[in-house]
Amino acid sequence: MREKTRERYDVVIIGGGASGLTAAIYCGRARLNTLVIEKALIGGLATYTNEIGNFPGFPDSLTGLELMNKFHQQAKNFGVNFKLTDVKSVRMENEIKEVETFRNIFECKVVIIASGGRPRTTGAVNEEKFLFDKGISFCATCDAAANTDKTVMVIGSGDAAIEEGMFLTKFAKKVIVSVIHDTGKMDCNEIAKAQALANPKMEFKWNTVVNSFEGEERLEKVILKNLKTGALDTVIADTCFEFIGYLPNSEIFKDQLKLTKQGYITTDEKMRTDIPGVFACGDIREKELKQVATAVGDGSIAGVGAEKYIAESEMFRNQIMQKEKIGMIYIYSAIDAPSRELMPMLQEIEKEFEDKVKLNFIDIYKGRSLCDRLDCTASPMTIFYTKDGVVIDGSMDCSKPAIVEKLKSLI
Amino acid sequence: MKEVELDCLGEACPVPLVKAQKKLAELEIGDILIVQIDHSCAMKNLPEWARTDGHNVEVEEVGDGEWDVIIEKVK
Ligand SMILES: Cc1cc2nc3c(=O)[nH]c(=O)nc-3n(C[C@H](O)[C@H](O)[C@H](O)COP(=O)(O)OP(=O)(O)OC[C@H]3O[C@@H](n4cnc5c(N)ncnc54)[C@H](O)[C@@H]3O)c2cc1C
Repeated sequence: MREKTRERYDVVIIGGGASGLTAAIYCGRARLNTLVIEKALIGGLATYTNEIGNFPGFPDSLTGLELMNKFHQQAKNFGVNFKLTDVKSVRMENEIKEVETFRNIFECKVVIIASGGRPRTTGAVNEEKFLFDKGISFCATCDAAANTDKTVMVIGSGDAAIEEGMFLTKFAKKVIVSVIHDTGKMDCNEIAKAQALANPKMEFKWNTVVNSFEGEERLEKVILKNLKTGALDTVIADTCFEFIGYLPNSEIFKDQLKLTKQGYITTDEKMRTDIPGVFACGDIREKELKQVATAVGDGSIAGVGAEKYIAESEMFRNQIMQKEKIGMIYIYSAIDAPSRELMPMLQEIEKEFEDKVKLNFIDIYKGRSLCDRLDCTASPMTIFYTKDGVVIDGSMDCSKPAIVEKLKSLI
Repeated sequence: MKEVELDCLGEACPVPLVKAQKKLAELEIGDILIVQIDHSCAMKNLPEWARTDGHNVEVEEVGDGEWDVIIEKVK
């Protein structure tokens, strides 16, 4: 096997959907050397829909592909690099992280996971036989025109199923919808529901799920099963569109990050995962609302988070953990008077040692992240001593004689 | 090991996928198939199908909305 080529970036973003592209725009604009890796079409799941009517700023709604092309162009304008391949594995626990593809290993300081979701399938008999353009589709926009004047089936009753189903009625002569619930009950919003029920081209099969798919080369029939009666119902259909939810693309992270039972990544509100320097944003996160607008919000936070993390890492390495002098790092809190009052005394000591001691302050009121790099349990009025850029000791004894003695022992 | 180009420019789904499946079947293990496409729909299923089938895939955006899907046949 040929050796994989190594390349270095500041930030590698896994996934080029709405959230990944937004994070890329922020990173690129902050002049970070940024790479987006996307395994399919840049734009992600939003390119599967013909109409995005709820993304602010575009009152004359546009197609998902048009909207995502604008995101893509904007990221390119800020110098973001793109690579179209799938990420096979990641190693994220070290300061320099590695993202591996078929030909390359990308080394980076920050990984942003924006790998989103993929359509869930029914698991019915013969389903695999008809995936990939043989009659089962997850994208109405992609396959609507090919179904002009044909009969199609839609599985599901959520917003995506019903809205995409209505879009399909503009092409197909009939759209038959399989709904798992009792007559009249759907998972979508009320407006979509009322419109769909009034649409003469739409027909509903209540209390049904897919039992099997049948056909020779291509799909010809969908066999539904009535959950109440157990009866089978054969529907002749040229294409079956499945909109029964999404599964998170998180398999490659499962050994390194904590996932929810459903496989989503949990983050804090700053999009940070449990690993320093690893962020997650968009549909891959455990969150309330999975939409383009929220993906954009997440992506911007992750992008700014990446920038701050990298700046802080550099500051920590070059300034706080400097190697030239004996280091004295004082942890205080801006809202804690006793810890603040010791600062002049410490500055005096630094002066007394002339050029041999370097004093740094860390204010944990501003945030714990710098302090956590030393010791995540440290509280105000702790002093860390360093030599050659390595922590030698940490102490809460802040009396002047004790500090002076400690410093003398280190010089 | 040979490299074969398949011109699917101007062709919409499902044509590029069907053509690529036929062509790849004719090739030997280790051969490379380069499918040229310019319909975004093919970007959603062609790389995914080839990966699911077990091959190595990389894509290059050669122009605005024009791609080379590079498939290395591994089985
Ligand atoms: C039919 C449909 C209609 C919708 N309608 C609307 C709407 O009207 N309004 C709205 O706001 N939202 C809508 N949505 C939801 C919206 O599309 C998503 O919320 C949004 O796409 C989330 O963006 P994301 O970047 O988090 O993830 P995604 O868009 O899922 O992008 C993730 C990307 O990561 C890539 N990826 C995954 N794993 C890897 C890997 N290992 N290596 C490389 N790349 C990888 C994927 O290929 C994908 O492109 C709709 C979705 C669908 C499917």
